[in-house]
Amino acid sequence: MNHISEGFLTAVQLLIRGDAETYSAVSATIRVSGYSISVSLILGIPLGFLLGYYHFRGKRQVRLLVDTMLALPTVFIGLLVYAFLSRRGPLGEWGLLFTLPGIAIGQTILALPIVIALSASAVETMDQHLRITLISLGANQRQLFFSTLWEVRHSILAAALTAYGRVMTEVGISMMVGGNIKWHTRTITTAIALETNKGLFSMGIALGLVLILIAFIVNLSVSFLRKRS
Amino acid sequence: MDNLIYHIRHLKHFYNTHPALEIDQLSISQASVVGLIGPNGSGKSTLLKLLGFIDRPTSGEILFKGKSAEPFSDAVRFRVTLLTQTPYLMKRSVFKNIAYGLQIRGDSNHHQERIYEALEMVGLPAEAFAKRQWYELSGGEAQRVALAARMVLKPEVLLLDEPTASVDTASAQRIRDASLQARREWGTTLIVASHDWQWLYEICDEVLHLFRGRLAGSGNESIILGPWHPRDDGLWEKILNDGQRIVVSKPPERDAAAVIASDHIIVRLPGDEDAPRIPSLDGIISRLILEKCSRQIIAAILVENFPITAKFTQTQVRNMGLYPGQRVKMYYDPKSIQWI
Repeated sequence: MNHISEGFLTAVQLLIRGDAETYSAVSATIRVSGYSISVSLILGIPLGFLLGYYHFRGKRQVRLLVDTMLALPTVFIGLLVYAFLSRRGPLGEWGLLFTLPGIAIGQTILALPIVIALSASAVETMDQHLRITLISLGANQRQLFFSTLWEVRHSILAAALTAYGRVMTEVGISMMVGGNIKWHTRTITTAIALETNKGLFSMGIALGLVLILIAFIVNLSVSFLRKRS
Repeated sequence: MDNLIYHIRHLKHFYNTHPALEIDQLSISQASVVGLIGPNGSGKSTLLKLLGFIDRPTSGEILFKGKSAEPFSDAVRFRVTLLTQTPYLMKRSVFKNIAYGLQIRGDSNHHQERIYEALEMVGLPAEAFAKRQWYELSGGEAQRVALAARMVLKPEVLLLDEPTASVDTASAQRIRDASLQARREWGTTLIVASHDWQWLYEICDEVLHLFRGRLAGSGNESIILGPWHPRDDGLWEKILNDGQRIVVSKPPERDAAAVIASDHIIVRLPGDEDAPRIPSLDGIISRLILEKCSRQIIAAILVENFPITAKFTQTQVRNMGLYPGQRVKMYYDPKSIQWI
């Protein structure tokens, strides 16, 4: 048990001291998850709205596909993105393998189905009278879209949080696409995996604590926003 | 024809493959008050949603002031508004709910003053209610706020879908008064679907009777559902629980609905020797209502538990001494029955 308690102690020291290696992983994680969640929300919310709001031929099949993609294993996404971004792959020229944007592409594939599926569910379960109310008060199609999203904002926030939690904590994509390069593409989760393999629990625990802290801050901010609205 | 606000042509509307509404021709005049009556599922709400340009009809067209219009078109977007039976208030304060329609019109003149006026119009003290959140209202208050959100827009057409069905008596009265005030002050055309016949006959210039998605007449008809059974004399009949028989001419199908216009019903007091020699039914008068446009009296007569509508002049009512609760005999000619 000693190594665990020592790990916690060292973790606190590393964080207080501002250990550069630790903060490099924290910075990489925040940046890459920021890219991926932004793209996922920009694409996922309108797509989720369309999927939840409109009835069209093949809707059930699209829904099934999106729901299936919720269960995509991160290592499989990592493998696919690696195959596309590697020098032999179709997107090899872009030079994105072992870069943070490369990881962000994989994480977007991971988060997008979550945002689409949960946004679609939020819009689907919305009271049908909202649509009638908005149109009968004079809303045009753009106002209908934004006002509907505003009405289901808490569910959309929950979708964003769930997706963010998933990209922050994934290892497979970051490891395979990013290559876990120190000072460059090493994220909190890949660092934890590496340090644990090396038997350096303190660093691993420190990074784990940071991950929990980030999750706490994000949730706290969302809860504050929710209260204000 | 110039003062028509709506003209419907060859309208058909389906929900998936289920036919919900079929109206070949219908015209509604500007600033008129039109009532829609009919049982649940008869197409009243569907018609209101189509007239409110919420949904697009499956086929046919709706002309608004002589021009073809559809959902989101500029010709109707800021002119027509619908209030549903179950009000939906957005997750914001009462003030912001009422301000929504003004905001999307880009109308920022005297917001507060106009919103307060709209609240007062529906009988809610403005100062006390404006700041309340949507969840701090009773059902009747929410419905009145929803109506205020429409009133503040001074609409050309106000469509009300059973606006008083799920609210208390006081709220219902306020909603009725505010709707009529809109008509009086701004010339708003009112189209109201309601089960409250009394109210509709009191206020409406015209009452339309919808049944199974079709117009069945002007509201003074009785609709009797099958199944019908053949008799030996070539006529058909339906036997009621109390043993009375409704005798009709041959229906187009066993389950067809028979329509008897009130003009074709003759009412006599029991024991009247001057009774016609045609089929009759025994009933009890349940309601007497004054019809605003004709100044005649509409009588709802219960035969077993089945409402039949008959029409009287005020003199007839006085001479016969009719009153709710009185037993009467109704005579009708089976040949006068229409089928839908």
